[in-house]
Amino acid sequence: MAEASGNFGTRYPYFYGPEGRLVLVDSALEAVNRGSTTIGIKTPTFALLASHIKPVRALIDPTDKIFPIDGHIGATGSGYIGDILQLIEELRLEAQKHRLNFESPIDIGSLAKHLGSFLHNYTIYAVRPQAASVIVAGVDQSGVQLYQVDPSGTFMRGSGFAIGQSADIALDVLQRDYSADMSVKQAVELSNKAIEKALGEQPVVEVGRVTAQDKQFQKLP
Amino acid sequence: MTTIVGIKTKEGVVLGSDKRASKGFFIGSKITQKIAKIDDTLAVAIAGQLSDAEYLIKVAKAERKLMELRRGFPLTVKESSRLIANLTYSGMKNYQPYFVELLVAGVDQEGGHIFAADMSGAITSEDFASSGSGSPIAYGVLESMYHKEVTNEEAKQVATKAVSAAMERDPGSGNGIDVLVISNLVLEVAR
Repeated sequence: MAEASGNFGTRYPYFYGPEGRLVLVDSALEAVNRGSTTIGIKTPTFALLASHIKPVRALIDPTDKIFPIDGHIGATGSGYIGDILQLIEELRLEAQKHRLNFESPIDIGSLAKHLGSFLHNYTIYAVRPQAASVIVAGVDQSGVQLYQVDPSGTFMRGSGFAIGQSADIALDVLQRDYSADMSVKQAVELSNKAIEKALGEQPVVEVGRVTAQDKQFQKLP
Repeated sequence: MTTIVGIKTKEGVVLGSDKRASKGFFIGSKITQKIAKIDDTLAVAIAGQLSDAEYLIKVAKAERKLMELRRGFPLTVKESSRLIANLTYSGMKNYQPYFVELLVAGVDQEGGHIFAADMSGAITSEDFASSGSGSPIAYGVLESMYHKEVTNEEAKQVATKAVSAAMERDPGSGNGIDVLVISNLVLEVAR
């Protein structure tokens, strides 16, 4: 950023920086890395979303971080909460538009692709990119799906994601102890372990999950 | 004007139609194609304004292709019917209706389906259906000959008899019968 503002007369900050980097997208990703640690885990029978929601000060209620998108889909995010909320709203809107046009629930891949496209738009115009990464979990005709979408508009399908503070440490824990035949309970324990290792303190988490069997996304109490 | 019939069987779906295109009291064509194949798993039988029907079918074909390419698996028969119905509904609401009654017939993961889609924008799922000027007569045959366990072969004969009876008594229908069968097995091949 310093380089961009120093050379303002010769280089706009909205286009490419040195080495072809999108400077504003990189900054957005750094902002996401300061957000609260958030995990997504998927097996063939269920997908789980967990987010660390410990309030930063006393007298503040923990934030809602697990959002139902439609009956069969849920999402969470990390980064600036205002940006996260806008993206959640966009996911909800797109899911309903699909129902209007096709009278059926949207598949998770199309939803993730749409969000990726939405975020990508913020990288080609003279606006700031959204400082939020989103993890989407759901069940559709192809089975249980887990996707992560980041501020550049890149969307990835996978079985385990970690975003936010010390996400690399959390991801390491997930990678070591992941097993495709885990139960939901074991996955909750794994995500708690990952968040605890990342933050060095007891996790205060909000959790949501969707199963292949009932195809409903629900927050766990 | 037309007679078209659609029958859901336990093995797939069958569509039947006549081949007469009338221009008032004149027969404009004796070899009209009223059954349009959208792809291997979906077809539409047309009654009404041919040009409106062709446009809707072209759009449905394009949207189906796009959805299949974008998300990796195709639209179901109901989703495709809803797509067409949304177009006809917006036409009606804008006082520029599409003068059509379509029978959307196809097979998907849930089996065979027949949907009747008309110019009002409504779709209804049917075991058997008929549209066009000859439909009251065709329904007579369908009502008496249809049963739940009908096979594709049987349904072909029922459809032929229904269109044939309509051609005898409806001046708007005639000049030959087309039949299309879509079998559930075609999904196995597609995989």
